[in-house]
Amino acid sequence: MLKSKVDEILQDVNKLPAISAVVSKVLEKLQKPDVNIADLAQEISKDPAITANVIKLSNSAYYRASKPIRTVQEALMTLGIKTVKEIVLLTAAKGILSQDLNSYQLEAAQLWTSSLLVAELSSKIVQHKKLKIDKDLAFTSGLLCSVGKIVLAQFFSPVMMQIKADLKDNQEPFPNLEKKYFGYTHMEVSENLLKRWNFPQELTDVVANYLTPENSKNNPILTSVVHIASILIVVSGIGIDIGGESVPISPFALSQTGVTEADIETYFVHIPDLQAGLADLLNV
Amino acid sequence: MSIKSKIINVGIADIKVGKDMDVLRTTLGSCIGIVLYDPEQKVGAISHIMLAKDPTGKDAVKFPHKYGETALPILIEMMKQQGSNIGQYSCRMFGGASMFKGINSQFLQNIGEQNIIIVKKFMEENKIPVIVEDVAGNEGRTISLYCDDGRVLLKKAGMEKYLYKVR
Repeated sequence: MLKSKVDEILQDVNKLPAISAVVSKVLEKLQKPDVNIADLAQEISKDPAITANVIKLSNSAYYRASKPIRTVQEALMTLGIKTVKEIVLLTAAKGILSQDLNSYQLEAAQLWTSSLLVAELSSKIVQHKKLKIDKDLAFTSGLLCSVGKIVLAQFFSPVMMQIKADLKDNQEPFPNLEKKYFGYTHMEVSENLLKRWNFPQELTDVVANYLTPENSKNNPILTSVVHIASILIVVSGIGIDIGGESVPISPFALSQTGVTEADIETYFVHIPDLQAGLADLLNV
Repeated sequence: MSIKSKIINVGIADIKVGKDMDVLRTTLGSCIGIVLYDPEQKVGAISHIMLAKDPTGKDAVKFPHKYGETALPILIEMMKQQGSNIGQYSCRMFGGASMFKGINSQFLQNIGEQNIIIVKKFMEENKIPVIVEDVAGNEGRTISLYCDDGRVLLKKAGMEKYLYKVR
């Protein structure tokens, strides 16, 4: 088992995916209720890449700003602090999630596409079912739930042959195999990363349990939403990885959210339209 | 892969045709990838359908490529536009995964199965032979059709292999 090696990596900050100091600072400032717009704009402007993306995305069809936006300050004034926070996070997440994970059989930034779709579908489910959850929080949790795969992907090679053999007659959820070979599931690694990045507990709880929503202690409804969204995106084949369709949808998640059979069908059928609507964000 | 080849991604609910050096590629979960290939003319097409039929009856008007019922006749038509008629090509099908047995979503349990049924029925009615199938199970699949000789590269559950049968 590779657990001790995974442990080593998890303890070595230099080897883990990181979010930039500017992003951490911005997220920290945004957690305070009395955040100052000028101050925030100044902080964001310290990072030229994020600044460029904030301005670019603020003007995208997805965010539909009412007038052309030329500066971060204008973006904050026009779109609001919450939306700009989403854009900053999205930019940071893209930097981390846009990579080929060949060992998971995810190529050509499929991880980024599927993460973004899980995020968007989670947010849509919250709105459609009128759940008392912040839709931006649903978006962010959906976006980050697979981030742990990035760490585990690097340990596949030594056990690849065994995993393949196990997969042949595998009847159990793929995360059980992750646990067996690496000592951790990708959910546990995602939780570890989010804690390191100082994300709030309600978010770390969702990524830790999104495939087993019945274990969520903090926010079972939000966890259930992300669960349903992630399963549907897998079924559609977008970002479907080596684990295949091995995790069934949880009846607990359906009862928590009130998502019906008919809703599932509607969400599924509209995945391509959802993807088309995300074109701007996919190419950040 | 040759330098001259061009990879064409076939998205979800999409149909693409290619010829000669083109490589058509798609990734499938419960959806089905229907591969038609004419070895004489080196013309191929992939249709990626999500569902057998449109549950609403309205969506298929706007997005006919999503559903087997409406996509398959279009697929045949697109082959025809490339100069390839029924009798000149055969069909291979991939995807249709599902292991959601015993859960309370009738819909999710049956997507893959229904997709497989509609494709087979259509091919039978139109006398298009289905010569290779790799369907069902719970694996995701990525398939690439090389239009130069019709081979399909199938990747699933950590393994990859070429399938050369084209007629």
